[in-house]
Amino acid sequence: MTLTAPPTPPLLAHPAGARARRRRRTLLLCLLLCLLLALLTALIATALSTGQVTIPPLDALRALIGLGSAGDVLVVQEFRAPRVLAAVVAGAGLAVAGGLLQRLFRNPLASPDVVGVTGGASFGAVLLLALGASQLLVPLAALGGGLLAAGLLGAFAWRSRAAVARLVLVGLAVQAGLAAAVNLMIVRFPAELASSALQWTTGSLYGRTWLELRVGGSAIVVALAAVLLLNRRVAVLDLGDDSAGGLGLRPGPARLQLLLLAITLASLSAALTGPVGFVALVVPHLVRFLAGPPTPATLLLTALSGAALLLAADLTVLHLLPVHGLPVGAATATLGAPWLLVLMIRQGRTNRSTR
Amino acid sequence: MDLPAATAPAQRSPAARQTLLLGLGLCVLLLCLALSLALGSRSIPLSTVLDALVGRDTTSPDAQVVTGLRLPRTVLGLVVGAALGVAGAVAQGATRNPLAAPTTLGVNAGAGFAVVTAIYALHLTRPVEYVWFAVAGAGLAGCAAQAMARQAGDLDPTRLALGGTVLTAVLSSWTSAVMLASRRTLDEARFWLAGSLDARGFEVLTPVLPLLAVGLLLAFAVAPALNALALGDETAQALGVPVTRIRAAAGLAVVLLAAGAVAVAGPIAFVGLAAPHLVRLVLGRDHRLLVPGCLIGGPILLLAADVLGRLVVRPSELEVGIVTAFLGAPLLAVLARRAAR
Repeated sequence: MTLTAPPTPPLLAHPAGARARRRRRTLLLCLLLCLLLALLTALIATALSTGQVTIPPLDALRALIGLGSAGDVLVVQEFRAPRVLAAVVAGAGLAVAGGLLQRLFRNPLASPDVVGVTGGASFGAVLLLALGASQLLVPLAALGGGLLAAGLLGAFAWRSRAAVARLVLVGLAVQAGLAAAVNLMIVRFPAELASSALQWTTGSLYGRTWLELRVGGSAIVVALAAVLLLNRRVAVLDLGDDSAGGLGLRPGPARLQLLLLAITLASLSAALTGPVGFVALVVPHLVRFLAGPPTPATLLLTALSGAALLLAADLTVLHLLPVHGLPVGAATATLGAPWLLVLMIRQGRTNRSTR
Repeated sequence: MDLPAATAPAQRSPAARQTLLLGLGLCVLLLCLALSLALGSRSIPLSTVLDALVGRDTTSPDAQVVTGLRLPRTVLGLVVGAALGVAGAVAQGATRNPLAAPTTLGVNAGAGFAVVTAIYALHLTRPVEYVWFAVAGAGLAGCAAQAMARQAGDLDPTRLALGGTVLTAVLSSWTSAVMLASRRTLDEARFWLAGSLDARGFEVLTPVLPLLAVGLLLAFAVAPALNALALGDETAQALGVPVTRIRAAAGLAVVLLAAGAVAVAGPIAFVGLAAPHLVRLVLGRDHRLLVPGCLIGGPILLLAADVLGRLVVRPSELEVGIVTAFLGAPLLAVLARRAAR
């Protein structure tokens, strides 16, 4: 795989120093990408090989393409592969959506789970379960729910533009209202339905099927590709509205388009796994910390890290914890919450020092 | 129109005006109590309700619904609403934060997690047995929220609410995890978690009454000092108010009141947030009035929501916690717009 250099050459910097810096950065990005790819492969192999029946990793990978004993192929292809694939696709989708939202709002806290989009998606999915409609419609319902949440958010907070604090708080309110709706359905459901609805709202990879993956997974991949294609627009918007206008991009419509894309991506991911908390929040920060300012390459890093994080969390829930049957969302929330707090405290400090 | 008569109330002394308003509030509260006794998913003639209340009719099924279900439910609403309202007023005063309330601080989620865990581990089946776990969970979560708020800076409403939200997110995902681990726990806890005043009886109230009494006493005791705190910590200190001690007492009052309320009725959202705001609109910012005002305003809100929940989906009922969440979410959105301005 070849990598392009960061697209924004610092024009006024010393040329030789700039070139050296750029080379160092490219090297770092390459290294990180290789490391992440290796990590993700190792995680996938582990996930495919462990479970009630242990299959050696290499056999498991071969069984994935239909080689080896019939039993291995059945276990790997039918039971483990959908779950692993769901984790990879949804993890990538959530992380990229989070990164995109954080960039568009210029705020590290504006991730889809904080502003209520994934809550809306799970509301849509649970509503569909309540109506007893086909599983195939879940991605659509989740998308509808996510857009509903975003619409409510927009209705209350759009005109305020830069007031991110308000946005986050309104997102909180939207989340609370939708949570009440979900809660209502959980109370009203018969117990079996209540349990599966609860699974949705916590975020779980349990019992994913190929059918759901074919629909939801391919939609996520399409959305991810769209983000990659439109990444230049995000970079232009990063320069500020005036400069974006000067470069021939109308900032209003462009921002709306990207916003809708991010919401779609987050909702589709939530349709596959439920609103797994904090992946969308944490991963973009991690990538920024490791790899510096955003470029197309860091977008790829974000996707890979999201996939690796969700898969690792799922493996932890499945095999490393003494309690069985925990939803993966409980693990990511436990890991992610302290992160959000640290972020908050740091932001508070910088705010106070600049005041 | 007679102009002098129309402007007369404005010319009265503030004390008289406040007494008038408090009296009006009491009348509204009495009306809510009466509605809560008279209305429900089962239509009972008013005369039967009256007969049942004065003890003339104790045997008919209608009368038993009134005395056995509606009366305890109404009393519970009165007590829980008062506790939540006062807790919200004290929390908002002590943190100088219009968004502070038992729900937004994570206290409800803490109680929920503790209760669900107790149901799971100890096989509890009756609300009376949950009580102490709710108190413990609420207390721990309240302390955690205070610690986080202090770390993040007391004065920023967004950050305090965010800290509470993070706490709520984590605790409620743990709660779901526990409920998913056992079907029995799910069945037992999901109704409690929705927040309801129905079918609890007086027996849940008795163990928490001392808690609520201490909480109320503390709240009334710190109310005058909260006025000084509103001027800023330095000014309050200069006025001779022991800021740290007042904050600690206020925090204790909030935790006791919220914990008692959650223990009785389950996590009920937004009453603690909304009641102080509504009362402030009517009575102004003086905490010496605000705290007693919330004693009236909280139950009005909660009882009105409860009656609404009984009427909108007849012959079924909505849990009051769900009604308040639906009503409270838009309110939080509006408050957030103002607070972040």
